[in-house]
Amino acid sequence: MQVKTVVNGQEQSHDVEPRTLLVHYLRDDCDLTGTNIGCDSSSCGACTIHVDGEAVKSCTMFAVQADGTAITTIEGLADDDGTLHPMQQAFHENHALQCGYCTPGMVMAATSLLDEVPNPTEGEVREGLEGNLCRCTGYHNIVQAVLAAAGGGSK
Amino acid sequence: MVSYRVIGQPTPRTDGTEKVTGAARYTADVQLPGTLRAKALRSPLPYARIIRIDTARARELPGVHAVLTGADVRGVLYGKSYRDATVLAQERVRFIGEQVAAVAAVDEETAQRAVDLIQVEYEELPAVLDPLGALREDAPILHPEMNSYAGLPRPLEKPSNAFSREVREKGDVETGFAQADLVVENTFTMARVHQGYLEPHSCLVWIDQQDRVQVWASNKAPHSLKQGLAVALGIPPEQVCVNPVVIGGDFGGKGAIWDEPLCYFLALRTGRPVKMVMDYAEELTAANPRHPAEVRVTTGVKRDGTIVTCDIEGYFNTGAYAAFVPLGFLPGPRHAVGPYRIPDARVRAYHVYTNKVPAGHMRGPGEPQAIFAMESHVDVIARTLGLDPAEVRLRNVIREGDANALGELYHDLHGAETIEAALEASGYHAPPPAPDGPVRYGRGVAIGERAPGGGQTHAAVTFRPDGSVVVHTSIFDQGSGTYTTIRQMAADVLGMSPERIDVEVWDTPETGFDSGAGASRNSRMASEAVHEAARAARGALFALAAELQGWPQDRIALEDTVLRRTDTGERAELSSLLARARAPVTGSADFDDTTHAHVTAFTVQVAEVAVDTETGQVRLLRFTSVHDAGRVLNPMGHEGQVRGGAMQGIGFGLMEELAIADGRVTTPSFADYKVPSMADIPQMQAIAIESDGGIGPFNIKGIGENPVSPAAPAIANAIEDAVGVRITDLPITAERVYRALRAKNP
Repeated sequence: MQVKTVVNGQEQSHDVEPRTLLVHYLRDDCDLTGTNIGCDSSSCGACTIHVDGEAVKSCTMFAVQADGTAITTIEGLADDDGTLHPMQQAFHENHALQCGYCTPGMVMAATSLLDEVPNPTEGEVREGLEGNLCRCTGYHNIVQAVLAAAGGGSK
Repeated sequence: MVSYRVIGQPTPRTDGTEKVTGAARYTADVQLPGTLRAKALRSPLPYARIIRIDTARARELPGVHAVLTGADVRGVLYGKSYRDATVLAQERVRFIGEQVAAVAAVDEETAQRAVDLIQVEYEELPAVLDPLGALREDAPILHPEMNSYAGLPRPLEKPSNAFSREVREKGDVETGFAQADLVVENTFTMARVHQGYLEPHSCLVWIDQQDRVQVWASNKAPHSLKQGLAVALGIPPEQVCVNPVVIGGDFGGKGAIWDEPLCYFLALRTGRPVKMVMDYAEELTAANPRHPAEVRVTTGVKRDGTIVTCDIEGYFNTGAYAAFVPLGFLPGPRHAVGPYRIPDARVRAYHVYTNKVPAGHMRGPGEPQAIFAMESHVDVIARTLGLDPAEVRLRNVIREGDANALGELYHDLHGAETIEAALEASGYHAPPPAPDGPVRYGRGVAIGERAPGGGQTHAAVTFRPDGSVVVHTSIFDQGSGTYTTIRQMAADVLGMSPERIDVEVWDTPETGFDSGAGASRNSRMASEAVHEAARAARGALFALAAELQGWPQDRIALEDTVLRRTDTGERAELSSLLARARAPVTGSADFDDTTHAHVTAFTVQVAEVAVDTETGQVRLLRFTSVHDAGRVLNPMGHEGQVRGGAMQGIGFGLMEELAIADGRVTTPSFADYKVPSMADIPQMQAIAIESDGGIGPFNIKGIGENPVSPAAPAIANAIEDAVGVRITDLPITAERVYRALRAKNP
């Protein structure tokens, strides 16, 4: 089936199997490998992206369900000139990452959280990102990074 | 303490930008033209004889390029040092999840469809599922040919499922028991847990036009992967090239040889690159989790709390193969005697084959099990004698000049100081919060100690003509931040700003053996090699300046982009000097010391819990982790290791269990296998006590494994402080606490 989307501002059209997951469409057909696959069962959040502005775990959606949508992946978050999104900058400066595997999904979930709750409390950040696992950091610096980004910049 | 410009400053990661933008390239991201995808058929039975495999329908499926079974890889055994693993099952399967056949096809879906078409007929055999059962007279011996396997830790008179029996002792424990006022004995069990890195095992193998075996793999020990592959495949090691990739977490689980041999045979058969990525259900069912264990601690003590003798007996469930453990057995059980001054001690550790998923290394291999046992036991001693558990630790902890219970002598000991600091920072001696309805509060303390391991590594520091610098390392960073500390160290030795220094990683053919990340040795190895290489490069630069400028070589300083003659103040641009060099300006160094460091690092952790006496639910409220740290190179990275490691220890203590029923993993997803999430983090203090008592040019100590082990016993001890019940089995679930409370107050 032909699936047309706009990913990071670029039109994409690929012939995919009906059962192809959105994350495979992005990685294999669109060659956007920044979105990582962790658990492929919607538990870890590593593959979180935005579909029409909403955070989605891209292993829980078929590519055909995304037909006609606008998608943002981690590759589309920074400005064209390479200037990092404030959330990316905050993750870097606050040491909110180690191995980096959860980072793209975590950053995408965090930007989506701030869209809904622009000035979250620490508790709201914890609750809002509970569905994204990280095994390296112990989460503390991730919470700090999100609060820093919400505060209009890095801490 | 010596002060530095860059070392000791909180420094964001050198690889931070590529990781926040999605540019970081992990193994699964590597694309080669014509790559096939592989999937394996796995055994549905814990122990069975393979009678027949029919691959005809799989071979006929369009898009399938190769189907292999055990017959195609006969005689190939591999392993880290003990080689007991087969590439595909030979005649029998020994655990649910063992690979029986494999397919390479145009894409993953086709490969999986072909796998589903393979038919296997088995004759089921009676399985042995626990170590004590495996040691019974009538138990089947799972590897009767073990004495013929290369690397068996010690030859056995006759094959036994207890293929490794390590005994370490000092003095005579019986003498100690005769002198004791009291003998205290407890048995503890710990669940099997998974490393839980989010990147599943992945590899890509390509046999290039020159017949070199090109490998990309989620593996932190590329040189031992190279050697192990060469030995298993019977090819010269120089024919294997392991290429650097970003590794998505390790925690000990990514140092073994994995699906690389299988992909090699599929690549050989098809003439195409072959990629294999485990899905997470496969990870949880068939990767190499931490060994579950049963550890008995028997101590003789004096009434004042002095421990005079300690006898440890531990059974570690290896599962079906030991190939994924570097030595075949775990080094950590010796930690079960604690960092205590005990005259007589013995540790007997048995590693036992069973028909379960093969176990591997996980962050402090054997230590979390050993330390949970001893540090829980110390509290039992204290409570039995009516003493403060912290005081009992202070009474027994090794101090300067003391050897530990097994006779090992470390210098510059900071154990007592670390305990005192943790008690102070946590408010350990303050009264706990008053009971709140059914909720009771308590605090518990536990201690661990670990010296940085030794190893071999290589570094080179080279000035580029434009005045920037590249540091080459043979270490593949598994996520801990080594490249960042390498950059900091080079900056300080050279006298340059870190922004002008890049770190690049050598692939395996370019250097001699590198031990790989592990054993909390990265900072030690890197600091020795980078320090020496940077000094050599600086020497070469000053020799060049002496030659071209006519300056005395011992009167030169480098100040970032400018060279200055120190006696006259004359200056020369670094880049213009380098532009005139006729040969590369570089220095290199090798570090080779495989012994453990002569200094150790103490960790003391204090947990504060709330226990609901009606439901048994435990909430971890506050957690304090204090580290005898030597010199901290990067406080940001150091604290990150502490917080992440402590959370893994907390998960081990409170929630994680890779459960197996009748040989089958019953928690095959993160929905069932619970690891701590952001909602589970306590208020945590991470404190580093710095000193000049570390090892190497910058006096470092290890931190990778240290924060993990004391967490679980600190929690167990806090629970007893709160509600008076002792939980001896991990994880400490609400059910376990509830049952213990009911048993105490029926």
